[in-house]
Amino acid sequence: MNWAALRPARKAPAALWLPGLLAVALTFIPVFYLALRSTEDGWSPWSRAFHTSVPQLLQRSLWLAAVVALFCVAVAVPAAWLTTRADIPARRVWSVLLTVPLAIPSYITALAVVAFLGPKGMLQGWLEPLGVDRLPEVYGFWGAAFTLTCAGYPYVYLVVRAALASADTAEEEASRSLGVSPLRTFFAITLPGLVPALAAGILLSVLYTLSDFGAVSLLNYSTFTRDIFIEYQSSFDRTGAAVLGAILGLVTLLILTSELGVRSWLARGRKRRQAAVRLVPLGRWGVLALAFLSIAVSLALVLPVGVLIYWLINGLRANADFPALAPAVRHSVEMALAGAAITVALAFPVAILSARYGGLLARAAEQAAYVTHALPGLVVALALVFFGIRYATGLYQTVWMLLLAYVILFVPNALSALRGTLVRQPANLEDAAASLGKGPLMAIATVTAPLARPGLAAAFALVFLTIMKELPATLILSPPGYQTLPGLVWSRSTDALYAGAALPALALIAVAAIPVGLLAWKGDIGALES
Amino acid sequence: MILELSNPEPLDCAGVEVRFGSLKAVNGANLQVAAGEIVAILGRSGSGKTTLLRAIAGFERVAAGEIRIGGRVVESTSVSVPAHKRSVGLVFQDYALFPNRTVAANIAYGLPRGSAARVTELLRRGELEGLGGRYPHQLSGGQQQRVAVLRSLAPHPRILLLDEPFSNLDAALRLAMREELVTILRAEGMTAVLVTHDRTDAMAAADRIAVMDAGRVIETATPLNLYMRPSSKESATYAADAQFFPGVANGDTAETPLGTVRLSMPLRGGCEVLIRPEWIGVKGLGVPATVVRRRFEGAHARLVLSVPGIPEFVAVVPSWMAAEANDSFEIGVNVAVPAFATAG
Amino acid sequence: MHRLRILSLTTAAAALAVMAAACGGDDDDGGSITVYSGRSEALVAPIIEDFTEETGIKVNVKYAGTDAAAALLLEEGGKSPADVFFSQDGGALGAVREAGLLATLPGSITGLVPEQYRASDGSWVGISGRSRVVVYNPGLINASDLPASYKDLTSAKWKGKVGWAPANASFQAFITAVRKVDGEDAAKAWLEAMAKNDAKTYANNNAIVSAVASGEISLGVVNHYYLWGLIKDQGEINAKNHYLAAGDPGALVNVAGAAVLKSAPNKSGAEKFVEYLLQKHAQEFFAQETFEYPLANGIATDPRIKPLAELKPPAIDLSDLDDLAGTLALLRSTGVLK
Repeated sequence: MNWAALRPARKAPAALWLPGLLAVALTFIPVFYLALRSTEDGWSPWSRAFHTSVPQLLQRSLWLAAVVALFCVAVAVPAAWLTTRADIPARRVWSVLLTVPLAIPSYITALAVVAFLGPKGMLQGWLEPLGVDRLPEVYGFWGAAFTLTCAGYPYVYLVVRAALASADTAEEEASRSLGVSPLRTFFAITLPGLVPALAAGILLSVLYTLSDFGAVSLLNYSTFTRDIFIEYQSSFDRTGAAVLGAILGLVTLLILTSELGVRSWLARGRKRRQAAVRLVPLGRWGVLALAFLSIAVSLALVLPVGVLIYWLINGLRANADFPALAPAVRHSVEMALAGAAITVALAFPVAILSARYGGLLARAAEQAAYVTHALPGLVVALALVFFGIRYATGLYQTVWMLLLAYVILFVPNALSALRGTLVRQPANLEDAAASLGKGPLMAIATVTAPLARPGLAAAFALVFLTIMKELPATLILSPPGYQTLPGLVWSRSTDALYAGAALPALALIAVAAIPVGLLAWKGDIGALES
Repeated sequence: MILELSNPEPLDCAGVEVRFGSLKAVNGANLQVAAGEIVAILGRSGSGKTTLLRAIAGFERVAAGEIRIGGRVVESTSVSVPAHKRSVGLVFQDYALFPNRTVAANIAYGLPRGSAARVTELLRRGELEGLGGRYPHQLSGGQQQRVAVLRSLAPHPRILLLDEPFSNLDAALRLAMREELVTILRAEGMTAVLVTHDRTDAMAAADRIAVMDAGRVIETATPLNLYMRPSSKESATYAADAQFFPGVANGDTAETPLGTVRLSMPLRGGCEVLIRPEWIGVKGLGVPATVVRRRFEGAHARLVLSVPGIPEFVAVVPSWMAAEANDSFEIGVNVAVPAFATAG
Repeated sequence: MHRLRILSLTTAAAALAVMAAACGGDDDDGGSITVYSGRSEALVAPIIEDFTEETGIKVNVKYAGTDAAAALLLEEGGKSPADVFFSQDGGALGAVREAGLLATLPGSITGLVPEQYRASDGSWVGISGRSRVVVYNPGLINASDLPASYKDLTSAKWKGKVGWAPANASFQAFITAVRKVDGEDAAKAWLEAMAKNDAKTYANNNAIVSAVASGEISLGVVNHYYLWGLIKDQGEINAKNHYLAAGDPGALVNVAGAAVLKSAPNKSGAEKFVEYLLQKHAQEFFAQETFEYPLANGIATDPRIKPLAELKPPAIDLSDLDDLAGTLALLRSTGVLK
């Protein structure tokens, strides 16, 4: 460990480290809460957990996370390559279609998967005339892995796409000029160059899997997060749930530490592309490529949206009861706009701190943020209930508490998008501003921030859509009577009122997809590279 | 005077040390620059010259020593005036122009509001009239460099630092820009420090040259002295191509394989004599030599010569001179040359 | 610059809107109460509207799952802003009562509900009842072949054909009943036999009923009203309810209930609300909308459904079904809940 490297070369201005400190303090609320609750009955719940459920849960959670990550990479890497380097028609449209599934919450994808691919689902109905009596079991590990891949691969796709779009192609050209085929060049040169982006994408997908509740519960596969819910639901055992939550947090910390190590080791000597890319002509492989992209988009986007539309049409025909949409849309959009703005505003100084100054605070802020990110929303929400009702009574059960939860949950999303943008910005522009007599804050306001605009927009879009989808914290922390879109989807679908659930679900997807779709269309999602 | 006079101040670096972890990038460097003087720091890559420049500008902390501007300490182990309060201009190697600002806005960046007149004046001075509304990426390399210099000069810095100012320019442009830069600096009466690895740039632009090697300034001299009378064998190699011949000095002259040569500084005993390739005269000077190879270089030709008893060496002659491999000449040295006593 | 300005304007507008929402006063004349509802909005909102219209008391409802609402109440403790807890099942009410957070309801309210459907200490009352049943696909099973007891489900002829939802609270209440009636060992043996018999696991009761209707499985253990909800949503489906034999734990009748919090800021409003839920109007609504059994005022349920009076549940005090931790441990140790 090189401790000298940890000491910032320059003292960071208070306007940067104060938000940094605030971010760390906020993200520590759930950590303190878990520490408190998980130890209130001494160590016996811990040893009980370790002797009963933990080893199995650990194995199941990590196995699922690993397989989902693998699937996501298998979908995202070819898709990203095709949409940045190959001469497929309508590349932009494909980019948008491949990105938009980000807007679909995993619980909606899971509902659709069960309805469509279940043993006697819609697909089986279509195949019935062909003599298909039932489809294989969709519940359990493979169903959960499939669903989480559909819902989670866009995270990997965005990161890999951004890396491909900005990577230097000189090495690939060198390889081709030495007589190596495009395919071998891809595996020998392009793919290794993508490893840092892949590492970042895999991390996102692993965290996504570990903290997911919707898909695993609807598809019946127990992970840490699902078991934490079951603890609350079945025995109202806060301590047991907190123990599991704390273990999940520790596991995440371990994954993060090793991932950061791998990433810094891999990040050496990356170059940025100077010249424009010549697209690779696919020839007769083009058909295969389009087939691949069509299948990916069909499963991740058309399947869930199609099922929702089917339910909606059925409901309209049957004169089903539809919830009033307007207040829920208004609340969800307000919360997502305000939450995204606050989150990005807080994450930006932390990202500058981490990209420009380094030091322990910046690292602590980043890591703490990631750990809370992997905690189930329920745990974060209960932590805020605990602190809110004791120390912030005025804010408790107001939308501010909800916004606070969103900030804690989603600062890492904003951080990763912003940090990537800042790292790729030439740092000497800020030095130039300083040599012209501008203080650090002035330099940030006049140089760094304007240049980071694509990154800021991307972070905003990402947090916006994530808030739109968030369910557990939204349910627990929104003030009484405060309808939201995910709340409506949840309440209608638990009552099996699928037509009533489909309407808010479609509204949710439509609203959440707007900013990210725009970004994908403009190609600015490049800023999401972490 | 076209531009308002700035307020040049002297610079004094004493025993400056900058560390990156365990590496001492600058290791006890000393450098004095008088007010209004232009000094070039000449060194190979990795010699610590850019790091010293960044320490002067306020972007690196020193681990030892101090830096004074106008007699006031701006950097030491206990004091560190922030970069933006030093009034030290820095021209970056890649210019670091703000890509999101126009040329005029780049130049106006360090100026108070309402300085449009000064911006116009600077644009005119840099022959950039009409380009004020363009963005940096729409300019040629030479224009970008001028914008970078004008931007740094705009707020009347006490000292101007230039990091490899010509390295991104092609040969023809380089010469013109060098002239232009010196003219501007002289006109402003700036104290300036420019860092370069190019001996010609350093010689042509600077009043004095500080040679930097392994984090130290090993010699500071005028360009002519560094060329004609370097104080050591090391610094001799920085000013121009250097080759050394064994000799025996007898006060004002020395006996060498190239005959008796006059010494620029008296010396006695065994020595090594610096004879640069362009100091060797050919034809009718008494020492027989054979041409091994001839390399045509446009204005000059480079002859690889052999004299019995010593390794082959090089002479630079006008390219019109007829000389082929295996031709023989009588050569000699017409210039007073420096000699360095052989150690031991 | 331009886009940045638009972005910041939108943000400022959103922040203002949020502030307005946060500060918006809602104090009407009749006062207001806050209800934490484990029952979903579709099943509660109409009744609440009517209640406000009738009494002038404004109701703020927080809809969350029963589990989340209970966890929230436990975390909030004595400082909870809630007045009423409307729970989907008795277990959650028991857990909140255990924590000492429930007020004792006046006899005028508890007296409306038969004794077996309320807490013996008066801390909560059942609002509506639901019976455990076996839902089956009549296209796949003859009525004569149907099991008489939950124990029959381990028979080889049902191998791979029974659906259950071990993560579901109502299923866990049923297992608790099995433990009370037939003992710990019998419960364990039954769970293991079921697992061996390849019982199919589903996320919830709705999924089981859908799976039975589609023929994915032949039968499943659920609450009686999910079938009727699905029929209401989708029209006639290929599934029927079958009630198990008298006294069988598989014929357990559980309740959705309500309680007033000890810390309720508006206790009288809260009691009025609980009482309202037991009035004829609300009870009829539950019967029609949710197909549950009304528990007060002699209201009958939907005529298609076997009436409450004809049910023969096991003789169990619902308050005794609070050992959920034990049930959870059993489900885990047998590997049923993975």
